[in-house]
Amino acid sequence: MTNHWIDLANADVVMVMGSNVAENHPVAARWLEAARSKGAVILSVDPRFTRTSAFADHYCQMRSGTDIAFVGGMINYALENQRINWQYLKDNTNAAFIVGKDFHFHDGLFSGFDPLSFSYDKSTWAFDLDESGRPKKDESLRHERCVFQLLKNHFKRYDIRTVCDITGAPEDQYEKFCDLFTRSYTNSKSGTWLYAMGATQSSHGAQNIRSYCILQLLLGNIGIAGGGINALRGESNVQGSTDMAILYHLLPGYLKSPALKDVSLDAYLEAYTPETNDPKSANWWQNTPKYMVSLLKAWYGDHATAENGFCYDYLPKRSGNYSYLSLFKDIDQEIVKGLILFGQNPAVSGPNAGRERQVLSKLDWLVAVDLFETETACFWQENPDEAKNIGTEIFLLPAAFFCEKEGSITNSGRWAQWRYEAAPPPGQARPDLWILNALYKAVKVEYENGGVFPEPIINMNWDYVTLGGHNGPDPHRVAREINGYFTKVTEVKGKRFAKGDQVPSFAFLQDDGATACGNWLYAGSYPGSTVSENKMARRDKTEAVNRIGLYPEWAWCWPVNRRILYNRASVDRFGNPLNPDKWVIKWDEVKQTWRGDVPDGGWAPGEKRPFIMKPGGVAEIFSPLLNDGPFPEHYEPFESPVANRISKTRNNPAVNPLAFTLEHLADRNTGNVERFPVVASTYRMSEHWQSGVITRNTPWLTELVPDSFAEISRELAAELAVKNGDMIMVESARGSVRLRALVTGRFTPFRLRGRTVHQIGLIWHFGFKGLATGATANILTPDIGDPNTMIPEYKAFLCSVSKA
Amino acid sequence: MKSLLIDTTKCISCRACQVACKRQHHLDAEKTHFFMTAGYQNPLHRSSKTWNLITFNESNGPEGFRWEFGRRQCFHCIEPACVTACPVGALHKNDSGPVCYDESRCLGCRYCQIACPFNAPRFEWDSAMPEIKKCDLCDDLIRSGRQPACSATCPTGAIMFGDRDRLLHEAKKRIADSPDRYVNHIYGEKEVGGTCVLHLAGIPFEQMGYIGGLPEKPLGRQIEKPMHAVPFVMTSMATILGGLFWIIKRRDELGRDDREIEQKND
Repeated sequence: MTNHWIDLANADVVMVMGSNVAENHPVAARWLEAARSKGAVILSVDPRFTRTSAFADHYCQMRSGTDIAFVGGMINYALENQRINWQYLKDNTNAAFIVGKDFHFHDGLFSGFDPLSFSYDKSTWAFDLDESGRPKKDESLRHERCVFQLLKNHFKRYDIRTVCDITGAPEDQYEKFCDLFTRSYTNSKSGTWLYAMGATQSSHGAQNIRSYCILQLLLGNIGIAGGGINALRGESNVQGSTDMAILYHLLPGYLKSPALKDVSLDAYLEAYTPETNDPKSANWWQNTPKYMVSLLKAWYGDHATAENGFCYDYLPKRSGNYSYLSLFKDIDQEIVKGLILFGQNPAVSGPNAGRERQVLSKLDWLVAVDLFETETACFWQENPDEAKNIGTEIFLLPAAFFCEKEGSITNSGRWAQWRYEAAPPPGQARPDLWILNALYKAVKVEYENGGVFPEPIINMNWDYVTLGGHNGPDPHRVAREINGYFTKVTEVKGKRFAKGDQVPSFAFLQDDGATACGNWLYAGSYPGSTVSENKMARRDKTEAVNRIGLYPEWAWCWPVNRRILYNRASVDRFGNPLNPDKWVIKWDEVKQTWRGDVPDGGWAPGEKRPFIMKPGGVAEIFSPLLNDGPFPEHYEPFESPVANRISKTRNNPAVNPLAFTLEHLADRNTGNVERFPVVASTYRMSEHWQSGVITRNTPWLTELVPDSFAEISRELAAELAVKNGDMIMVESARGSVRLRALVTGRFTPFRLRGRTVHQIGLIWHFGFKGLATGATANILTPDIGDPNTMIPEYKAFLCSVSKA
Repeated sequence: MKSLLIDTTKCISCRACQVACKRQHHLDAEKTHFFMTAGYQNPLHRSSKTWNLITFNESNGPEGFRWEFGRRQCFHCIEPACVTACPVGALHKNDSGPVCYDESRCLGCRYCQIACPFNAPRFEWDSAMPEIKKCDLCDDLIRSGRQPACSATCPTGAIMFGDRDRLLHEAKKRIADSPDRYVNHIYGEKEVGGTCVLHLAGIPFEQMGYIGGLPEKPLGRQIEKPMHAVPFVMTSMATILGGLFWIIKRRDELGRDDREIEQKND
């Protein structure tokens, strides 16, 4: 989230698209209700009328996988109707930048496309540079190659009729949505955008989010109270795990993980430390060397010296793609022989889950750390006859539940909150820290007895104090390491620090080994050595001076307790709030300091541009970063019932199916519309959680939702002669499932270019273990997805439905 | 008098209240099979194990499709018919609001069930020593200065706990402030003389399965007189009822319990 949960209450209009906030983040509805009680309008866009739709003021239906068309039309509407925050656009975005003359876009393809490699040569997406090396600009926004004109040109094809032809949205309702949301373009109004997996689980997921960002930038909605792009994370600590580098291409704090070409620390730092000669750009990533060296010091302690590149050589180097899907390909090809699953259940949650269950049998060993025996941990039980041929050895390590261990979790709003052990874990169950500590120590012993390249393991700085009993290492000790500390007597900014002193904030981190820090973003979360200095444990409900719900003394928020990111965009160049009624920060002329939230850098107003993480200091409406285009463009999902209405390029051209799927391409029967005519999507519901390991073992929850089901429209039910509760067979190119039909008016068929297209939805929480069992929807879902993130396209695929 | 104000327009049917109620009162989960209504409602009816039930109601109105979530529980009438009907005083209205039940006095006659216009008291059909079960407004929590489990759990503020006068005032204010959002009816303000559970809704209550057309006079006053005669026949009743248990238990096993009646009323 650029903003945070409580800030939703500041919005004048809330767009819920690609998320189902009321069902999957029910507590957030408290803040939406608070917004509404102050007059806010809540909009819900979804293929299905959800509990969020029921809660919202207006609902608009759209076909799964057509988000970019929907939002592209909103962008076009804003441009055509002058719903633009002009000053914001000129000050804070690259709208005025001039793109090189070789850039072009034709029939769904951007310049530089190579069909053989499914990739773009991005060199033509670069800006024209002036003599000083900065992008050329036309502040009037009239130059034909300036980003603003290219944007207008790109999205003018997304008129209301075309958009509704693609999305299936009713035209009048769609226009109403465009109108209601783009009204937030004035300084006195704010609109917030809530998204989740409905947006990301797509073959153009990253571009879905880009489209939201572009619209929010046109309307001036980023950096302000009640605005922002807000990713609702689907698990209580998924933000924390992302911050701590759960993704293969990252190190903690969103530092890039080294690739094979980054042969030394110097080469790495040169590759990933951006430069700018623009004095108004803060270019925050220029600090990369401080963060990277401090990270290596945290990991390798005294072994990490300037002479040995701070043990950079110890880090594994990426030579390919290590995403979830690639991992399963590697298991299939017997490259990966062992798998440790911490609270993950791919046999239920993975795409093409039936195939993944087969692939698991190629493992030599599998360790499942979980609360209950998962479907993955006993994948072999599904076909007992074949079990004797499976050689995989499986270990189940009982884990402590969230309330049975101490530590921090980080919510979607980036708040790191400390929590405590309410009850000891039962039996042999242990906290994750205990398990990891034991695992590390056992592996270390093996390496001490010999092995290839043992240094990265045996030289690790692993000096945690173990608490004994069911407790592993002291979580406070770990948290203090993440915060960072001085490794020797050092003077920074006129302050003298002793060896072992905690780092007050990331501004004090050094690139010479004088500091160690497990994650620079969390520097400042635990700035002292005593438990009372753990800022994540703060529970003070005092409001900040601007009274917009920041509660700065409650827990701690990265970075540096800044509650609303890019908040320098909320003021003019004198530091006066654009919206005085809901101001975020304000420059105090007398004291020469900022008031309100922690600003994005303490520089005086106008000194630096607000988007400090970008080398140019401005937000990128045109961005050369993604693999599939500098602007979002509508492509059909990989499995779609219709041709692409807007170009001849049917699917996202930058998706290389070979990089994803477990099937051989020849076997990859994606089916056709005749065989699989129905659009399908998967989702979660309030009553169950993720793959259901916990909730399907909780009687009160299985009472509420006892069985797997698919929701189908009354019209489709009538065609199939299916009644509510009847068993149906749903089949896709990957497999088939038998489950109950929930016949509802909340799905209605789409009328697309003269054809009726049905859509159904399946919950994906179920499997064959636990108190409540049922068919696994992910047996149907495709193992193909986004070319940037590799997230599978769970949300839009084709199937057939019949009475079972 | 302590009461609840349930604003169904704020409800997201997360059913945290339904689960919180079971947790607070140690009520077992029921064995359910799929859903029987338009939505995710489960169980289908209230029972001795389910005192608080969120209902799912789909409708097509002039403004398009709607999905509304109602709630069923004991209404804690100001003058409860069940209390009047109970021949042995097992049910009583607390001054603080809740209608409570004393299982040590109960004879199992089920008069309260018949008297209650909302079909709130439920009988433990599967127990050898059956009791009447229903929402007690978390009387023990209220006594210790806390609020009921359901209102404490509700994430959106759809369930509000407080003094009835204040809640009634709040309900009227909401309707006045947002006349487009609410039907102009506070369910429980006047029904059967007024109840301690008040509801607001965006569509007519009858469309969400609430019982309509209830008199404004407390039902208890209408049955008071005949009830005076009851204690005299009660002693013989006890023996008869004991014998009835076997029959009822058998009926339950055959799946023909009074749920058929409940279906009509519930």
